[in-house]
Amino acid sequence: MDNGNHRALDPSAAIAIEAVSYTFGSGSARKPVLFDLSLHLAGGEFVVVTGPSGAGKTTLLTLVGALRALQTGSIKVLGTELAGLDARGQLEIRRKTGFIFQDHNLFDALTSYQTLRLAMELGGRAVPKREALQRATDMLGELGMAQHLHARPRELSTGEKQRVAIARALVNNPSIILADEPTASLDRQSTDAVIGVLKNQARRSGAPIVMVTHDNRLFAMANRIITMADGRITAPS
Amino acid sequence: MRLGFATGLRLLLHARGRFVGALGGIAMAVAIMFVEAELLLGIVDSQATVAQLLRGDLVAMNVSLTNLHKWNRLDEVRTQQIAAVDGVAHVTPIYEGAVGMRNLEDGRIRRIVVFAFPPDGLPIDIGDAAEIDGLLKRPDTVLFDRRSRPIYGAIAPGGDIEFESKLKLRVAGFVDIGPDIVNDGALVMSEGTWLARFGSDTPIMAAIDLVPGADREDVRRRILARLPVDVAVLTPAEAREREIVFTLRVAPVGVLFAIGMLAGLIIGSVSCYQILFNEVIDQQRQYATLKAIGGSDAFLRRLILTQAFVLSWIGFAAGGAVAWFFDASVARTTGLPLDLSGATAMLVLALAMAMCAGAGLLAVRSVTTSDPAALY
Repeated sequence: MDNGNHRALDPSAAIAIEAVSYTFGSGSARKPVLFDLSLHLAGGEFVVVTGPSGAGKTTLLTLVGALRALQTGSIKVLGTELAGLDARGQLEIRRKTGFIFQDHNLFDALTSYQTLRLAMELGGRAVPKREALQRATDMLGELGMAQHLHARPRELSTGEKQRVAIARALVNNPSIILADEPTASLDRQSTDAVIGVLKNQARRSGAPIVMVTHDNRLFAMANRIITMADGRITAPS
Repeated sequence: MRLGFATGLRLLLHARGRFVGALGGIAMAVAIMFVEAELLLGIVDSQATVAQLLRGDLVAMNVSLTNLHKWNRLDEVRTQQIAAVDGVAHVTPIYEGAVGMRNLEDGRIRRIVVFAFPPDGLPIDIGDAAEIDGLLKRPDTVLFDRRSRPIYGAIAPGGDIEFESKLKLRVAGFVDIGPDIVNDGALVMSEGTWLARFGSDTPIMAAIDLVPGADREDVRRRILARLPVDVAVLTPAEAREREIVFTLRVAPVGVLFAIGMLAGLIIGSVSCYQILFNEVIDQQRQYATLKAIGGSDAFLRRLILTQAFVLSWIGFAAGGAVAWFFDASVARTTGLPLDLSGATAMLVLALAMAMCAGAGLLAVRSVTTSDPAALY
């Protein structure tokens, strides 16, 4: 990055962001949100991204997750260049990514197990029922939710729903994890448990974690804290 | 694949109130389509009754006879001319008319259709040919259609029936024709009785039997070459087809029932679209999440179409049950045989599936165009 963050592209980086700029709208409504951003994340690294609203944190997350197409610059995720990637390629990147959203976005009609089973199917590999049940039970168990395997969202508290959503993100053993305020609806104890699970996952699979958060409790747990403002990284740790 | 189906089913059945409401609309649409199709086929059958009963190798009729219930008659002399053509064994004129028949129990006059022909070589398939020929050879006798609606009083062989003109004829036996939407019942009599008792008339058509081994197309060509251009010569199948095509394409009744079916389709489509669209809109973020975590557009389409097809299948079953009760009620009160035929059922099922699939594809657009990036 121009402000001292530019480094040579590390070929071993799990996520390599290089000179990325992004603009919403066009003409008079044109609004640049990211400016020549560069950042490398190693496998297993837990990076917290923080900063005021409008800083471009979420846009960065959506670009890394292949939820948006790159305009300029380069992002390599697990060695795959996202610039110019077609729809099928974007889908493949998404399948390797564990997305955790601020809202749980669970279907009311599906139990926790059915939600996780669906995520496994969308992960691109057919999973036998017995194995799916075991994986769902283990995943929910790690998050202290084993007893809610067959519960529907209306039977769960907000924090429990969020933990099911986190289990959905992790059940396919993702290669990268992108989270946006995942602990906003969790109490202290649950937050510790969730972060513990995320870090275990990162350690086991080598998946880097990029977490957008304002939760100060998490800063101490991160390997690196990046502060953004006005589309630029202002304070790398 | 199976999980996509199961998930679609769960999403559909979860909002029970909305599901039942939409199902009601689709079932009503299916019932309307069933009834319209059955009534249309009933009308078509009634228009083609004579054509469907024909037994000959060929049939001759006035070329301007656009359908059998329009009274452009066949010039009698044509039957003689046809009989003189090489390869023709026998020509049987067929008369059709309607008369008023008195119910001897309540005294009321009811319309009844009459078929008449010479009693030698039964031209229409209404029972045992030898027996019917024998009975019709007796003077002033009629054969009563035993499947007529029960509006003519008790009819028994050996008894008399009375016409509006006070004329009485003896019932010699029964035939099997069956009522239709236009006609409540039928009588069969010999050409001699018909012409003698009901005045001079000309046949509506003539059934042509060929000599054994004669080539039908050759004989047809020879007949057409010999006769003036006022005669059409068709096979019985062509005559039936002409009747059906006329009813479906030209007669207003075909258009009316087609509009009725279209109305059913629209009602069903709107009901189906409403539930699917509301389902998608209410859970747009959930669908977008599926997209974000690796759900392809094809998967999302399958999810919505599963719901559409399940709606069409359950709606078809419920609407079919309603139509079945309607048929039973109509059969009880009118004697009309409105059967849920396999072909009608397949047609309505195909229409129901098409209408729900169309609604589903419209609804799925709001899912496939949703932006998963908006979730963050």
